[in-house]
Amino acid sequence: MAIVKEAYKALEDVVGAAYLSDDPVICEGYRSGPAGYEAGLGYERVMTKIPGAVVMPKTTEEVQKIVKICNRYCVPYVPYSTGFYGPRSHCHMENELLVDLKRLNDFEFDEKHWYAVVGSGVVYSQFQEECLRRGGYVVIGGGGAQASVIANLIGDGWSPLSHRIGLPHRRILGTEMVLPDGEILRMGSLAVGDDWFWGDGIGPDLRGLLRGYTGLRGCLGIVTKMAVKVLPFQPERLQPKGISPNTALALPEKRVKWINYIMPSKETQVKAMYEIGKAEIAGAVTKVPLFWRAIAKAECKEEFWDIWLKETPETIANFHIVRVLLIGFTSEEQLEYDENVLNDIMMELGGQPRPTKPSDESWIKNADSAGMWLMCGSYVSVDYVIETLKQATEHGPVYAELKKKYTPPLMPDHGDPGWFQSFELGYQGYSEFLIYWDQDEDTTGVDHFYLETSKMNINHRFYTSLIGPHQPMYLTGPKYGPNYHEWMLKIKNEFDPLWTCHPPVPFAHDEFVERAPWMHELKTWETPKEFPYPQWVKERLAAEAATFRAGLKSEAKVKK
Amino acid sequence: MPTTKVNLETTDLSNYRYDMSRCIKCKGCYWVEHTYMPGVKFSTRCPSNVWNDFDSYGAFGKMRIGTALVEGKLDWTPTLLEVVYADPLCGACDVGCKRNLDLEIGLSLEAMRVKAVKDGAGPMPAHKKIAENIAATHNVFGSAHNDRKKWLTKDIQVAEKADVLYFVGCTASYTNNEIAQATAKILNATKTPFMLMPDEWCCGNTLQSVGMLDEARELAKRNIEMVKSTGAKTVLLSCAEGYRMWKVEYPKLLNIATADLPFTVVHLTEFADSALKQGSLRPTKPVNVRLTYHDSCSISRLADPWTPWSGERGWMGTVSPRLKRRRGTQGLYGQPRNVISSIPGVEFVEMIRARENAFCCGAGRGTKEAFPTLASSSAKHRLEEVKEIGAEVLVSACPWCKNNFAQAVKEDGNHVKVMDFSELVLASLDA
Amino acid sequence: MSKDELAKIVGKENVSDAEAVLLQYSKDHSLVAAGRPDVVVWPTSSEQVSEILKWSNKNNVPVIPVSSGEHFNGGAIPRQGGMIMDLSKMNKILDIDQDIKQARFEAGVTWGQLTGELAKKGLRVIMPLLPHANRSVLTDFLEREVPTNTVYDYGEPMQAFEVVWPTGDVFRLGSASVDGYPDSMSRGGNPSGPGIDFYRLVQGAQGTMGVVTWTNLKILFQTKKDKVFFAAVDDLAYVQEFLYRLLPRRVGQEVVLLNRTDLAAMIAEQWPADFEKLRAKLPPWTLVIVISGLTRRPEEKVAYEVNCLKEIVKNEFRRLVVDEALPGFPGLGGKMLSLLRNPWPADVPYWKNRWQGASQSLFFIARPENSSRFLEIVETIAPKHGYPVADIGSYIQPIEHNRACQIEFTFFYDGKDAANKARIAALYRDAAKALMNEGALFTRPYGELAPMVYERAAGYVMGLKRVKKIFDPNNIMNPGNLCF
Repeated sequence: MAIVKEAYKALEDVVGAAYLSDDPVICEGYRSGPAGYEAGLGYERVMTKIPGAVVMPKTTEEVQKIVKICNRYCVPYVPYSTGFYGPRSHCHMENELLVDLKRLNDFEFDEKHWYAVVGSGVVYSQFQEECLRRGGYVVIGGGGAQASVIANLIGDGWSPLSHRIGLPHRRILGTEMVLPDGEILRMGSLAVGDDWFWGDGIGPDLRGLLRGYTGLRGCLGIVTKMAVKVLPFQPERLQPKGISPNTALALPEKRVKWINYIMPSKETQVKAMYEIGKAEIAGAVTKVPLFWRAIAKAECKEEFWDIWLKETPETIANFHIVRVLLIGFTSEEQLEYDENVLNDIMMELGGQPRPTKPSDESWIKNADSAGMWLMCGSYVSVDYVIETLKQATEHGPVYAELKKKYTPPLMPDHGDPGWFQSFELGYQGYSEFLIYWDQDEDTTGVDHFYLETSKMNINHRFYTSLIGPHQPMYLTGPKYGPNYHEWMLKIKNEFDPLWTCHPPVPFAHDEFVERAPWMHELKTWETPKEFPYPQWVKERLAAEAATFRAGLKSEAKVKK
Repeated sequence: MPTTKVNLETTDLSNYRYDMSRCIKCKGCYWVEHTYMPGVKFSTRCPSNVWNDFDSYGAFGKMRIGTALVEGKLDWTPTLLEVVYADPLCGACDVGCKRNLDLEIGLSLEAMRVKAVKDGAGPMPAHKKIAENIAATHNVFGSAHNDRKKWLTKDIQVAEKADVLYFVGCTASYTNNEIAQATAKILNATKTPFMLMPDEWCCGNTLQSVGMLDEARELAKRNIEMVKSTGAKTVLLSCAEGYRMWKVEYPKLLNIATADLPFTVVHLTEFADSALKQGSLRPTKPVNVRLTYHDSCSISRLADPWTPWSGERGWMGTVSPRLKRRRGTQGLYGQPRNVISSIPGVEFVEMIRARENAFCCGAGRGTKEAFPTLASSSAKHRLEEVKEIGAEVLVSACPWCKNNFAQAVKEDGNHVKVMDFSELVLASLDA
Repeated sequence: MSKDELAKIVGKENVSDAEAVLLQYSKDHSLVAAGRPDVVVWPTSSEQVSEILKWSNKNNVPVIPVSSGEHFNGGAIPRQGGMIMDLSKMNKILDIDQDIKQARFEAGVTWGQLTGELAKKGLRVIMPLLPHANRSVLTDFLEREVPTNTVYDYGEPMQAFEVVWPTGDVFRLGSASVDGYPDSMSRGGNPSGPGIDFYRLVQGAQGTMGVVTWTNLKILFQTKKDKVFFAAVDDLAYVQEFLYRLLPRRVGQEVVLLNRTDLAAMIAEQWPADFEKLRAKLPPWTLVIVISGLTRRPEEKVAYEVNCLKEIVKNEFRRLVVDEALPGFPGLGGKMLSLLRNPWPADVPYWKNRWQGASQSLFFIARPENSSRFLEIVETIAPKHGYPVADIGSYIQPIEHNRACQIEFTFFYDGKDAANKARIAALYRDAAKALMNEGALFTRPYGELAPMVYERAAGYVMGLKRVKKIFDPNNIMNPGNLCF
């Protein structure tokens, strides 16, 4: 069974035959795995499918028509900009329509008012260059310069530059989206006219429906166009230099400068971040995990392991770097001021400056995330959470402790406690914990670790990024809010009564736990007898679960 | 974790199972390298995926398709053949991916074609015609073999025996005599004696590119033997694709290293650069134009010398012995620029996407013959860039580029003049 | 309406239906028509708020949450009778944490109270212009009052907070949603999530989406050195170009642009004599830029900002004279700084009401380059209602590097005169309509602005109503307000 014939025909009338395909080869190209972010894991293998068809609209109006057709014929669909976020951005049902938004690549810049309007197909790499050329800059989310600006801003959106620029939520201005039932919602100044410059709602702010903390993963509509704040930068050009793989931006040192400081202890490393925040200086402040330096040095995977396996838990535990980016927004004099203040702080804390290259290899134009896959071939972040520095600096070791139980298959990292940095001038703190494995090995341990971190966060009372659709809603729901999941479900049912928008998200991880036998032992929480889907979703999921179980049985037979 | 034996031979797609199955969909293969990204315009370097927007036409889509292919999950269909063959194999994806990872994208794509041929599904009908032409008349056009040396004019001196052998190639011999003539005259002007192949046959570029390795290998052996028999120390080419064939693909086909060839392979651009430095090339005649230079793929991204490798892949995907990956860093980027910049009167302006970020013209490696619209639209897209920077003349170092651009210019009524590197250099030399 | 049932929840002393008490809540400083509540309750805990709301749902009683006694926009006047839920007794400052620069406090905490407590510890908070000392800090930030400080890239000082949904469910959002907060590793520094950005749905809601009981808020250290710069302005367009140029360079802390009427009303000490003298003497507009040194090397910070300011003026804006004094007004710098860093004292009539007893402000968000055009519109309409142009108060607040601004026009009037009041109301309405037609963005539509704005935002209204249905299925929260 393919996409309903009538739906397919209607879709073709909307976009034209050249931009619609149900050819199995075309659809295979849209497979989530086998590799990528969070790929090579149980969730990806169990929950994702290749699309039944792919459609590529060009305008919001075309997207609206597509969504309405899907509602008419009960065709599940998923919005997709680059697909880089991994399985959660791909089809979860058979014969699902993948709405590839790459052709929505409008771009308009208002230099005077420091914002640009982008379509879903514009990626950060393009955007940042357009900003830099005009004396501005943005945060390229840690996902990388290849991430769609819109998709990243509604699900992620931070990097060390967030020390100055802050929460991505605050950078969303006028926005246009297609709700799951096909209505168009325009927010901010766009609600009342044709202007994109302002984001606050008329009265209550419906941007609240856009993202949550780490996103709705496409289950509550399709954002087609958004105005994004651009922040003033400094006027000197950052010149690209070098040849791949050694490319970088040459920094005009009197206006932009990275400095690394070796700190005598974790306490002083943390204190430095507090002090820098209090002093309100710098454009980026971050810890640097030791293995990033190994990645930067290594010319190949094998060299990385040469370098990395020489480290020990002691070297890791005693490696405390604070990396600071100074930006002379106002003038050269201002950068000097920042540097003087920074050196005052470092003198007080015993931080030693290290020779630092006058270049940026990452973060300003690249956010070099692809390198995360070099070591093992598989990677996911099990937390990338914004809270305060108080949580951020204590969170990683708790992960590291839990991780020991699951290493291997997780990469041996000598107990590295992850990454943290200052955020919003020290008002917030950020911590991220990344894990790596080889997906050719038995990844049950990784699936288990992923879910166990959710329980760990609940027990230790940490806020976490893996909430909402990322983890079982019936596990996290009662423990955050409480019962945020009930409100989410109400919102979902109100705006997507048919559940055609990316089913079964936000319950996809719940479904995964139900479906995958190796996850059953972890299920220590209550779920309703039946998940609250409309009938057609229940039936489809039941059928697919049955197919999956049958597949497991025959795999087991073959192995025997 | 058990190890797998693996090598770089494209005759077995499973050698690339790891590479294809580890593509993370970051589209480093598609975008201009981020550090050099010029903005919302001219932001890509994948002609296939610009020609057709579906993910499946980018390398990141093809890696998924290749994985399915090697797992026996896909049958050969016209769509699959198009996905595999509508692609100039320009190396942008390979270089782009290797900015961060150790995956062999380019070789995976080649191996998919080899499989297509082995399975009897490929290559495309237009390629089969070229193969027939080569078999019958030793050139891609099916033109009379005896006409191959007709490009020679009386004012060109060819030596009976010399250290340098100029391998002319099919296009310069038959359709672009001006390139052969200019090259020969440059050699004469720098007082570099050169000889020609006693009996020049096609280098086999199209055959190798579309996966007909057996036929390509036969040509390689034959051509290498012939050069050996002349005693030439250097094989010089004015065609970028030919250069790549001799320098990279011949050793690859024969499972030897480039360094193991009994001669050095040199492109006209590097020859001219050396000659300039030595003083034997003296561009003194002004050429008063605002021009730009297009980095032809086969002398840039695809030009790193070849070393065969075989070993094992094991823990965390590491290979042993150590493999130094080819990342296009040894391409001829600086050499043509040095020469062009030395020509008086030339106002040289770089393309927005230059060097390893260049956008392929879309013609090479059998693409133009099988997918003329891909070649045409890629060339037109590249010409937009030429217009954007206000260049009057577009120079490249490959007849395939030149012809494709020239045709696009004609179709669009553009005012850009398209020249080969050899013609530009010749124009700067006193008679 | 059973007072006894309510008394069981909050205690007898915290319920009242006395006429005099009800009357106090039936009107405010604005022109919005009076509306009487039926009862007033003063809860003292989130649990009580929850119980009250559950009771109200059961008994179909509208609830209007208020957090202080000073209201200027009519958002808390009952339109369908019901209950005033006065949170002023929930006035605890729960935590001040200098390390993470965050304070947590209840809805009833006032500007006077909070700024006083913070000052004791050498701390402060960014503020809108002259908030009344008795107003709720939480409410002002929830309602998106625009701060006078333009330099922070991240805006939005509110962090995680607690809301009691109209259904009575107590809910903590953002990182305060962690089970057991504040006894948790999470400190409430992130307002977003979990799952949905609930905080956005409550912002600007004028009490229609729930009752916010406490919030975390960003705080700052007091500055160590301040210099106040002035420029006399007669060309609004010119000074806007200057601000477009200067503010992205991240110069200045507080930056405000005030016309003579507004500024005179703020700084006059002897009334009415001083006021008229000042009005006559002040330039048409005064630009005020406060440049401050922070906790470390304050002089150097002031120096580099001043140097940048002077460079720009010298090289590009020669017609502007920017100096530490406003000619003819010695000592104004110190006075302005004090005004900008403190709430308006409660024991003095509010600055806008000192002149004629009452005032009505019309404020909206705009592109700064359009300020002159909007001013022209209001100056054309005012005389048609017999309102002298010279009597219009104007205040332009640059926002975040001058990417936008808030423009506020104030009409002063004698509130005791009914005819006057009606005239001002008509002027206000006409001006609002004309401004809206020209692109003025009313993101905080109080009173009768709401139907005017929402008429132009049909799609948005639909979205709002759908969300409202979820959180307030019986529509008991401040019904008749906004579009509900």
